[in-house]
Amino acid sequence: MPQLSQEKQREDEPEEPTLIEIVFFKSDSCAFCPRAEEILHETLKEFDTAMFKLLVVNVAEQPEAAEEYGVFALPTIMIGGVSVTGIPEPEAIMRMILGYRAAKREVKRCEQLSD
Amino acid sequence: MNSFQIERVKTGIPGLDELIEGGFPRGDTILVAGKAGTGKSILATQFVYRGAVDYHEAGVLVTLEEPPHLIKRNMSRFGMDLERLEKEGLLAIVDLSPSKPSPVMIEEYPSFDLSGLEAIILNRVRKLNAKRVVIDTISIMAYKFKSRDILREEFFKLCAHITNTGATLLLTSEIPAQDTGLGVFDIEAFLASGVIVLYNEKISDTSRSRSVEVLKLRGSKHSSRIHSMRITDEGIRVWPGEISPGS
Repeated sequence: MPQLSQEKQREDEPEEPTLIEIVFFKSDSCAFCPRAEEILHETLKEFDTAMFKLLVVNVAEQPEAAEEYGVFALPTIMIGGVSVTGIPEPEAIMRMILGYRAAKREVKRCEQLSD
Repeated sequence: MNSFQIERVKTGIPGLDELIEGGFPRGDTILVAGKAGTGKSILATQFVYRGAVDYHEAGVLVTLEEPPHLIKRNMSRFGMDLERLEKEGLLAIVDLSPSKPSPVMIEEYPSFDLSGLEAIILNRVRKLNAKRVVIDTISIMAYKFKSRDILREEFFKLCAHITNTGATLLLTSEIPAQDTGLGVFDIEAFLASGVIVLYNEKISDTSRSRSVEVLKLRGSKHSSRIHSMRITDEGIRVWPGEISPGS
């Protein structure tokens, strides 16, 4: 990850006390899931891991969760309202995280303007 | 019944069983294909509805297209009270329609399987001990995912895992308007051991004629004609003795 982005991340931390929720959907039979999980963990280490709340959903044990979110294909990583399916490139996860943070900032800015 | 005899599942469509030796082979995958407006969803819903009402076989209806409230409304027109069956534990409607809020997929890598969909369906099948499963319509999957080769392979596995429970699986597939195949995957016919095609052909400037054809049904002697079919107040009815005027 570029140094500039890391510094920006630290600057923003006090303004963003809320955790970024990441949901990782996997199953016992999914051959691609272990590698996707590895990449997810490696990518999160690039950030301050305290920023994240990682929920791992094994659909074999929690099929209702897959139905609730309408997740057909595995592995799927969901951040905010967006997801990636398959073994992702780390850059895709980073884009999702950064996109989520930017969207949160925008919502906050709009709330402050309307107050 | 010896091990070579095929157990039949009554379709619940008046007239159709007479074309296929008494019903679909139990535990098989049947594809119902047709262009828009040919009655695929009515036939599929009637299959689970009549199965529950007439034969006390629980069913799971997986909707990938129309939201459940619209299915219930539209099917009540044909006297099918789906809500009552849900309350009685004889029917589960699995809402995987686009109207349901779900995460927006921004990236798809060609390294996935459909074990999510499989877990969702098998969970409902086990809970109800369902003997009939409908997926309406598989064509949506082709628009949802880019990797067609993976989808084809995964669909084979999905169908096998559902029918391994002993349930009879009915899939619907929409044939695009100008298409001559059986759907958007090009392999729909191979997925299923039985293929039923519905038509609504224009026969004059002012009228159309509905008909049904049993294109294949493994292990069965079936009619090779195209038969008249109508959508009545009680749903779909086939006239086995009546050959379609359009054929």
